[in-house]
Amino acid sequence: MSEDLHKRAQELFAQSLVEGLSAADQIWLDGHLRDCGDCAREIASTRELLHALRTVPVSVPRDLAARTQLRVRLRAQQSAPTSTSSALLWIITAVSWLLGLFSAPLVWRAFSWVGLQLNLPKLVLEFGFVLWWTVPALVAVAAVLYQRGGGTVSTRRTDV
Amino acid sequence: MSAQAFTFTVSRSPVLFTGLMTDERQILAAGLRRRDPDLLDRLIEQYQQRLYRYLLFLTGDPALAEDLFQETWIRVLERGHQYNGKSKFESWLFAIARNLVIDVSRRKKFPSLEDLGDPESNQPYDPPDDHAVSVLQLLVTRENEQAVQLSLLKIPAYYREVLLLRFHEELGLEEIATVLATPLSTVKSRLYRGLEALKSALPQGAA
Repeated sequence: MSEDLHKRAQELFAQSLVEGLSAADQIWLDGHLRDCGDCAREIASTRELLHALRTVPVSVPRDLAARTQLRVRLRAQQSAPTSTSSALLWIITAVSWLLGLFSAPLVWRAFSWVGLQLNLPKLVLEFGFVLWWTVPALVAVAAVLYQRGGGTVSTRRTDV
Repeated sequence: MSAQAFTFTVSRSPVLFTGLMTDERQILAAGLRRRDPDLLDRLIEQYQQRLYRYLLFLTGDPALAEDLFQETWIRVLERGHQYNGKSKFESWLFAIARNLVIDVSRRKKFPSLEDLGDPESNQPYDPPDDHAVSVLQLLVTRENEQAVQLSLLKIPAYYREVLLLRFHEELGLEEIATVLATPLSTVKSRLYRGLEALKSALPQGAA
């Protein structure tokens, strides 16, 4: 029997494991294996090898699943209130923005009155007015960033 | 980390290995979008052995495999909304785990799946890290299978991975391509080469 036939048998066997064989190829391979002891032994050996691979015994830490379940639940609890408070924060911000918009003329009048009483230059009044609007927003942004930073640190912990 | 461990022998439970049907996948996807803790508990329980073994054989380090196991499920929680139910859940799960292995291997600068050279070239592969083999050897409990399993550990990770996914996890070729994010032709090529490498790595007379 030529080497080419043995090589073809091995290639078809590998193909049967990876992609599957056509009926004609399967019939040819079965016939070859009936006639060729060497190929039959080699293929049986590979089958045993793959069977052993399928039954690899591995030691799994007994409480790994329980520890992971606990950690996932804790993480879920940590992140759930964050999403609620984020929605609340958006609502409060929107209300605050609307109130600020409608109260701006009154606030500017108040600044003008104080400026007249204290005889302050217009530039100082304008600067104070800008600070009146921006400082609360900057504080809110800092608070949000601080909160998000804290959440990230806590999720990086490995041990629970 | 607990020192307690038990020996797991694969039992091919139909529930565990038949995969989820499309309707079940949609229910699963909806549950993941809701971040349903009970669903996650069940999934962790159901996939613990397969996922842990996959991570263990990729990393060769039981402690690292444990950490990555936990991180994988945290990612499942956080990115559950990205699972659309069209593909098998285990493909998506293994892809997350694999990406974590690659991330960690880059950070810790140990040979990652991607840093072992071009698997499609005909370069001879390097022998494995002795430490990794010895650690895994401790986990192998049946003496008559040691030769086979150590042979598996001797071959490069990118071959070991496809062999495990195909012949152990019994994923289809397209599912493996999803996990690896590589073309189908690459998966087939790695499988053929992996089979050859595995046979070559086996000591004479084993299996």
